Amino acid sequence: MMDENLKRRIFLSRGAGLGLGAMAFQLIENRQLSADTQQPSASKLGKIQNVHHPAKAKNVIFLTQSGGPSQIELFDYKSGLEKWAGKEIPAEIRQGQRLTTMTANQKQLVMPARTSFKKYGDSGATIGEWLPHHAKIADELCFVKSMTTDQINHAPAMTKFLTGHQIPGRPSLGSWTSYGLGSENRDLPDYLVLISRMKRPSDQPLYDHYWGSGFLPSSFQGVKLRNSKNPVLYLEDPQGLPRSIRREMLDRMAELNRIRQEKTGDREIETRIKQYEMAWRMQTSIPELLDFSDEPKSTFDLYGVDSRRPGSYAANCIMARRLIERGVRFVQLFHPDWDHHSRLNSWCVARCQDTDQASAALVIDLKRRGLLDDTLVLWGGEFGRGVAGQGKWDSPEGGRDHHPRCFTMWMAGGGVKSGISYGKTDEFSFNVAENPVHVRDLHATVLHLLGIDHQRLTFRHQGLDFRLTGVEQARVVKEIIH
Amino acid sequence: MAFTKFYFSLISCFLATTSILANDDQIRFSRDVLPLLSDRCFHCHGPDETHREADLRLDLEASAVGREGSAAPILRHDAKHSEFIQRISSDDPDLKMPPPGSNRKSLSPKEVDTLKRWVQSGANWGKHWSFESPRRPVPPTTASHPIDAFIQRQLKNRQWKPAKPAEPATLIRRLSFDLNGLPPTWSQVSQFEANPTPAAYEKQVDQILNSPHFGERMAMWWLDAARYADTDGYQGDATRNNWPWRDWVVNAFNTNMPFDQFTIEQFAGDLLPNATAEQKLATSFHRHHMTNGEGGRHPEESRIDYVIDRVNTMGTVWLGLTLGCTQCHTHKFDPVSHQDYYSLFAFFNSIDEDGRAGGGAKPFLRYKSKQTGHLLREAEKAIDLRRVHEMQQLEAAKTDFLPWLKRQLISTQDGFKGWHVAKPSLVTSAEGTTLVIEPDGMVRATGLNPNQDEYRSRFSSEDLGNPGTHLRRVTGLRLEVFPHSTHTDGKLSRGRTGEFILTDVKLQVQKQGKSQVIDLEFSKAIADVEKKVAGRNYGKVNDTLDDDPRNGWTTETHDPLKSHVAIYALREPLILTKNDELIFVMLQRSTRGDANIGQFRISFSDQPGSAVRSLDPMPLERLAQAKPQSIPEIDAELKTVLLNQFLDDHDRYQASKAQLRQAKNQLSQLKKASGDLNVMVLSERSKPRQTHVLQRGVWDQKGETVSHRFPERIFNPKSMSSDNRLDLAKWLVHRKNPLTARVLANHLWQICLGEGLVRTPDDFGLQGEFPTHPDLLDWLAVELMENNWDIKHLLKVIVTSQTYRQSSAITAKLQEQDPDNRLIARASRYRLPSWMIRDAALRSSGLLNYQLGGPTVLPYQPDGIWAEMFMGRFRYQPSPGNLQFRRTIYAFWRRSAAPTFLFDSSQRRLCEVKPRRTNTPLHALTLLNDLSLLEASRALAKRSITENQQPQSRIPFLFRQVLSRDPTPDEQQLLVRQLELARSYYNSSPEQARQFLDFGQLENKVTNNHVEIAAYMIVANLVFNLDEAISRE
Repeated sequence: MMDENLKRRIFLSRGAGLGLGAMAFQLIENRQLSADTQQPSASKLGKIQNVHHPAKAKNVIFLTQSGGPSQIELFDYKSGLEKWAGKEIPAEIRQGQRLTTMTANQKQLVMPARTSFKKYGDSGATIGEWLPHHAKIADELCFVKSMTTDQINHAPAMTKFLTGHQIPGRPSLGSWTSYGLGSENRDLPDYLVLISRMKRPSDQPLYDHYWGSGFLPSSFQGVKLRNSKNPVLYLEDPQGLPRSIRREMLDRMAELNRIRQEKTGDREIETRIKQYEMAWRMQTSIPELLDFSDEPKSTFDLYGVDSRRPGSYAANCIMARRLIERGVRFVQLFHPDWDHHSRLNSWCVARCQDTDQASAALVIDLKRRGLLDDTLVLWGGEFGRGVAGQGKWDSPEGGRDHHPRCFTMWMAGGGVKSGISYGKTDEFSFNVAENPVHVRDLHATVLHLLGIDHQRLTFRHQGLDFRLTGVEQARVVKEIIH
Repeated sequence: MAFTKFYFSLISCFLATTSILANDDQIRFSRDVLPLLSDRCFHCHGPDETHREADLRLDLEASAVGREGSAAPILRHDAKHSEFIQRISSDDPDLKMPPPGSNRKSLSPKEVDTLKRWVQSGANWGKHWSFESPRRPVPPTTASHPIDAFIQRQLKNRQWKPAKPAEPATLIRRLSFDLNGLPPTWSQVSQFEANPTPAAYEKQVDQILNSPHFGERMAMWWLDAARYADTDGYQGDATRNNWPWRDWVVNAFNTNMPFDQFTIEQFAGDLLPNATAEQKLATSFHRHHMTNGEGGRHPEESRIDYVIDRVNTMGTVWLGLTLGCTQCHTHKFDPVSHQDYYSLFAFFNSIDEDGRAGGGAKPFLRYKSKQTGHLLREAEKAIDLRRVHEMQQLEAAKTDFLPWLKRQLISTQDGFKGWHVAKPSLVTSAEGTTLVIEPDGMVRATGLNPNQDEYRSRFSSEDLGNPGTHLRRVTGLRLEVFPHSTHTDGKLSRGRTGEFILTDVKLQVQKQGKSQVIDLEFSKAIADVEKKVAGRNYGKVNDTLDDDPRNGWTTETHDPLKSHVAIYALREPLILTKNDELIFVMLQRSTRGDANIGQFRISFSDQPGSAVRSLDPMPLERLAQAKPQSIPEIDAELKTVLLNQFLDDHDRYQASKAQLRQAKNQLSQLKKASGDLNVMVLSERSKPRQTHVLQRGVWDQKGETVSHRFPERIFNPKSMSSDNRLDLAKWLVHRKNPLTARVLANHLWQICLGEGLVRTPDDFGLQGEFPTHPDLLDWLAVELMENNWDIKHLLKVIVTSQTYRQSSAITAKLQEQDPDNRLIARASRYRLPSWMIRDAALRSSGLLNYQLGGPTVLPYQPDGIWAEMFMGRFRYQPSPGNLQFRRTIYAFWRRSAAPTFLFDSSQRRLCEVKPRRTNTPLHALTLLNDLSLLEASRALAKRSITENQQPQSRIPFLFRQVLSRDPTPDEQQLLVRQLELARSYYNSSPEQARQFLDFGQLENKVTNNHVEIAAYMIVANLVFNLDEAISRE
């Protein structure tokens, strides 16, 4: 068995010198080649030659709700809040929790949930009335109500949530996954990003470092599938250039490149030829992917009326399922505008309506197609919201400020127990009372489900072996795993 | 299989290479022992006291090594009795080190043997190699050039020889890319090919080093290191005006400013006696970190982040140390303590800043660039051309106007209706309201009256307009809201107050046979009346366009017993075909609710532009009303209105007008940039801040206080004061500082040879790689310092070596035994950085704008990148005219959305000093379809034809421009085949050729010879994409 450290050094040096991306794609090519030639193929395609332990999940769909959805209105029901309405949060609960400068000078008065809750399914999950479709999948979900982070502002918190560190520059969860496991699809990238098309100017831009590869080779970065003529940048050939001519060009180019390869002996040229071929295939595979005309009416009925609108969250949920069907490893959706500092009554409702039916439909659809067992679905944002009202606690205009100490996520499929709720917050949904799950624990758990030991998936950069979960101890939340 | 074999051969090569380096029997502490101690032991037995186990330190000789009989774990000359050796070779899991449960890798038997031999031979201790001041080693006398002597000494150990010299054309091309970032001109190549002597080569070297493009190329390296960008990076991503600093850098390299001065001015230009504006400008280096203006963020937290960024950047760029680690704790491997870190932090802690971003990011320097004049003139030229073009288009359009007007005169004789009431085929409510469609198209709400609702009306294109002559397109929509007796007090809704609030609307089309719907964009909405409100609230009808339920339209405060109207203009007309379906969604989801519209009616119009942006009678309605019998009878004012309406619909004219507008916009931006700018720089606040160690690096967890101090165990000369940034800069470039000169020499080597002598240019510490040629590195470092930190001198020394001038061809043997080229038995061949690929294409095609310095420009990138990210707040408009073709260094760099045509580029978020070189299909797509490369292809195609009378010399010409050499007969033949194929295609489809050529700048428009140019453009596009074209060989 090869020394891990040595392996890493080789990968690093190759990555820097001749292109690890080249290798990843070469691997893909190679798999095809080996199938053709009936020779034994590499057992695994990514950095780790074999998963560290049997994987429960093969793919991930991460439904990222950007801005910090309110756990208090959506999932984390607190029956006792009414009697605290308008009263200051007790000091023993606050424990000096930092506030953003937006509410630091305001009294912290309790604002009870703006919705009512019911219990759903055999599991009796509590779900707020703004998410009626979630109620239908209550028994499929695993709620983690004790999520916690240490960042209180959007960009640092989202950066931490997705890359394990608050300062941009580290690889994202999707990039680590793609780096670790490689691809199952030869015509599409391993890691695709879909962003809801919104009309409102967003207060929180979705920076490309959220799906960036950091110090990993850039071939592991998430590729954004845009909702435009060029769904992948530069995918479309110029007007007036027919495919047949492009094909001829690629053939001539390959011949000329091979002449050069003979002269220089540089093997990277062969890789280049293959990349141009893959580019050619992507020009067909991606438009096919985007064309939903092969979806029956029942699909759109399931995902809701907005799913017919390309770029909507609902359409992106359908797309996520299509990508999983095609073997894409990691799909990440972003739905912006969950930052509800005011008017929860209308604003939060609007974002719930964008996402509720389609999120539920995705879980149902994956299950029907037998894909849910292999696919881990994650739903959540970078932090939660505080129990105190921002603005007047007793007016419909009231909203909530950021709250890092606790928030709720849900997971489904991919080896996670269904119909359970893990972790508890205190009676104010302020502090974690039981079984805290830090963002790094979430990362460790997701990697674990994929068959990766988070301590062993490392990359040497600036003299250190970096890993997603960082230097502090991270815990795989075994209690929620089948 | 193929890959697997390749992969494993790689590993065996690596093992072989390792053994090359450790070939001589003598064990060197810093090379053979220290890396093992560092990697396997220091984590628990190193400098970091918080993780120290058993109170044992193995990083200090005094505590690690002792004589026979002492308690030290390592006993000199006595491996057998050394506990250290016993523990590392033990099989007992309770004794074995590193412990099997830890995350440290076990030592291999070979490594254990190395350590044993080291102990046995006396356990000689030393410092890590990079912490000893470099002394000039004597080069072997086997070669005349010291570099070659050092390189060949190691080759000789393996009985290898250097590769043969590169071909002259290849060499000049390599030199030109490495030091100017551009390919050579053909005359440069042919001149040198005719006389490839050492003297001629040296002349070429001087010429290239003295070219103004040298400064641009070097600045590109420096900008990456400086994490330079033109915006803040975080929320808001406000634009900065720090580009004059970039020109300072270009100029510093061009005037060959010594690196010590270069360092001093960037760290402390403001502290120099009688500091000039330029010296103050230089300090902008330390302000290029990202700044966070996110609402709610504590400015002090941000400020701490910025100071940390400065320390870390200095660590990487000058010291090659990963100081970032010591932000939270004492370094686990290198001798830098937590206190050392904050002592360095102290140097930057009293900048007169307060952690704010954008316009609040003081301190600023008022600075006026002198490098804008030529750009203003170019911008004016771009306007002139576009103005002429616009006038021509206007004249052309006018000739079509009269016939159009005549037709309108006839068609409006029996009156004219601009709005056509549309009867929905179906209206649904999301919340259960019953919506009744009346025969006249009126829709009325009855039954349930929910708190909030969404009405969705569907219209068939067959039902729009007059029966039989339904609308061929839609340009706008009208919504009328009516009072009704069943409403509260006969007002507009059934809500408590009888008023309505419409929060948002959406219009979509579902084309026949399509499963997906298309969202249509409205450009504007107006209403007869709206409630006057401030801020985000319910009032303005235009707020129904933003999908935000916290604002919207209401007519409250106006007469609720009258009907009201809103009209929506589409951004682009929607062309209707048979059986299209239009879907109009009305969202009524206000915060308080209970304000759903009671009765409404929808109409559509096909009238262009202004007609649907105003409630006034439409031009054709006025014409119909005026009933003129002939054109001369039309009132002059109405005629102008009609002309404007006609022009609204004239695509070619509108396009020319938009181009003119963009050019004017560019000029006004440039004028702003020519005035006084606020450049972010350094200056000290009057009262210095107290510096604390921050526990775990958290901004408000203050520990003990520390003051300015240099890290003791790196280099701490007693004679130097350490009072301020100026002292810090002088310390960095002190003749005895062990790191700076080595790190810089390594960077310069990397610029010329692709990889550094230390393969981890950002880490010269214990975890970094050992130099492949330590003596050479030291020789270069000393050479640099003894020549007054002369960068051009050192580069010249490097590129005149035989080592640099070797061929890059790889033999099977070298591929097998040294695939990473660590021994440099050949030159390296690798893909050019993406910015060089763009610049090279511009130069080869003749499009390149050679002007130096000045404000940023916007090279082509696909539509919508900024708009998507910021939901329309920023829009990207590529620079018009010749400014489009400036070098990439002048491209505007939005940190949150870097230029899309750059791949594998540094991120410009944190400092980066090691190039990335991956190879992916996305790069292929970029190079095939990026507009810059396409326009370069077209320009080169045109030149190939116009500059060569003889058709057979065209392809060789084109080939030479891109690749700096003539094609071989085989290559020529393949390209001719491609040309003929393309030509025969475009001959049969000339309209395709016209389309293929119809893009880019007006200056370069193709007016004739389309087929031939298109065919050559195909060839040029192909050649630009050849591996050779994008590689440094």
